[in-house]
Amino acid sequence: MQLLDYMEAKKLLDKYGIGSVESRYVSTSAEAVSFSYGNPIVLKVISDKALHKAKAGLVKPGLATKAEITGAFRELTSKAVKLKPYKIIAQKMAHSGVEIIVGGRADPQFGKFILIGLGGIYVEAFKDFALRLCPITKADSMEMLGQLRSKDIITHNGKMAGTLSAILMKVSRLLIENDGISELDLNPIIVSETGYTAVDIRILK
Amino acid sequence: MLKPKSVVIIGASREPEKVGHVILQNYINAGYDGKLYVVNKNAGEIMGFKSYKSVLDIGDRIDLAVIAIPARFVPQALEECGKAKVKSAVVVSGGFAEIGNNELQDALTRVAEKYNLPTLGPNCLGVMDPRSRNDTLFLPTYKLSKPQVGGVSFVAQSGAVGSTILDLIGGEGFGLSKFISYGNAAHVDEVDILNYLMNDAETKVIVLYIEGIKRGKDFVEIARRISKVKPVIVLKAGRTSAGAAAAHSHTAALAGDYQLQEAIFKQFGFIVANDLSELLYYAKIFVTEQRPKGNRVAIITNGGGAGVLTTDAIASSGVLELAELSAATKKVLQKSMPVLVNVRNPLDLAGDAGSERYSAALEALGTDPNIDMLIAIVLFQTPGADSKVAAKMVEYKDKTDKPVIVLSIGAEYTQMHRIMMESAGLPVYDSPMSAAQSLAALYTYSKYCATHK
Repeated sequence: MQLLDYMEAKKLLDKYGIGSVESRYVSTSAEAVSFSYGNPIVLKVISDKALHKAKAGLVKPGLATKAEITGAFRELTSKAVKLKPYKIIAQKMAHSGVEIIVGGRADPQFGKFILIGLGGIYVEAFKDFALRLCPITKADSMEMLGQLRSKDIITHNGKMAGTLSAILMKVSRLLIENDGISELDLNPIIVSETGYTAVDIRILK
Repeated sequence: MLKPKSVVIIGASREPEKVGHVILQNYINAGYDGKLYVVNKNAGEIMGFKSYKSVLDIGDRIDLAVIAIPARFVPQALEECGKAKVKSAVVVSGGFAEIGNNELQDALTRVAEKYNLPTLGPNCLGVMDPRSRNDTLFLPTYKLSKPQVGGVSFVAQSGAVGSTILDLIGGEGFGLSKFISYGNAAHVDEVDILNYLMNDAETKVIVLYIEGIKRGKDFVEIARRISKVKPVIVLKAGRTSAGAAAAHSHTAALAGDYQLQEAIFKQFGFIVANDLSELLYYAKIFVTEQRPKGNRVAIITNGGGAGVLTTDAIASSGVLELAELSAATKKVLQKSMPVLVNVRNPLDLAGDAGSERYSAALEALGTDPNIDMLIAIVLFQTPGADSKVAAKMVEYKDKTDKPVIVLSIGAEYTQMHRIMMESAGLPVYDSPMSAAQSLAALYTYSKYCATHK
């Protein structure tokens, strides 16, 4: 299994109209500073060998000043030595909201499945998710949301159900139309009443 | 295979401990009234039947061959069945893919395909159809209660789980339509069997115990169609084999193979049971009850505590609601009930309630448009509850078009009444939780049918 390059993966999401946070690879701290342009950014290490980035201290959020960015960049490059080959990605900070996961998995027997659940650091702690065989209908997507124990948190008592349903339909189409994908994680997607953005993307071929 | 007019037992034997002997004995005991032939290379006569050297020597039309000989001889015997134009075969013998002998199993599959001969097994118990008295099971009759005739068809990959459940069904009030144990599924598999049972008019409910699914895409297709026709209750082994520990994504870590299959079952309206007792709870409600129009449940009880426990079980089901009695119903009950009865849901008829009070309560609740389903708690330890109450329940059951179940907890005296009521088609449960879960499953399926026409 091979991890699809982050920027390639982002392009694929763009093609299906799935919004993700503005990102760029940076090879020096100066590049990161210029990307930030005075706005707070996140720096992350991208490597095949690191699934749990946040837990491993490979995510540095809320970097606003040149000093913060430079310090974080140096820390990440030293931590990532054992994760070679790796890249460092700079991302704009997403607005705050509820963290969800939308995922996909190909099964050789049955085909592609789509998943939605409480995301971020809660994924494995609560294991609260709904799973369906693709392609799904709008009604399926609404049923999936209804199955979640955390449905009231995730949908803000129903207000964001339409947004989430639309994401699910788009991801289902992406999974169906792209044969080579074996696994997909959009975790987290940050959802609020004003919209959503995928903050981390992981596609395995 | 299920209703053969003629059967040959290949490997029938005089020696009582041989599988082939038990099978022949069972056909005789069951009173099978089709033609029965036996094939054994060595014996001249077995239990009064002339023994043929090969199925080719019989010279009559054979609908079913039951093969119980050592594995290495099976492909040859099946080949002869093919040549003799036998219509179907059940291979009871073990010693194939389950012990790593894949080549021998492939040989068997090739013969079955060559002659287009529907072949069940190998390594299976085969089939039982109490209506046609066709029974290929090599289980001595005195060791298990064989079920009565009914509407539940039971499909099991595993022979051991299959015979256990068969024995349990024997002790239940509902009867069996078909039992099919398909073992290694070298030729006929779960997709073929579901296809058959979907169109079988004698089968009202399908109960499926499954270990692995072979043809994923075909399984999805049949699953999509079958739930619209009749309910399928499924117990899948391997629940705890969670997602791979070294998964590359969070999705794969959450959605292991069992989760994927469970997702398919739920997506296509199957009723998922978590253990053997749930299979039976669900089977009995689905085979007798109509589909409810909604999720509102009324409870009548002759014990306050049991009413509260049942209310809790309904609330924790996640899908059911306690019904709000209509004004008209309340009025009727206030007139017909003694003053000590507080008119609300759950309706506590009090410990001295006899058949008359039950009857009046059932009549009033039965016509209430706010009620979709009914649980009648009858604690037979109380002074008022006796056979007349049980009879009244059965009488009411025949009149109403709402699902109604009984909750009775207790030993011998209660069990006697349970059997009485269940034989008359009224499901009886022994715990508030199982009663509530069963109604919840019934409602969930009914909702699925309403939204997937």
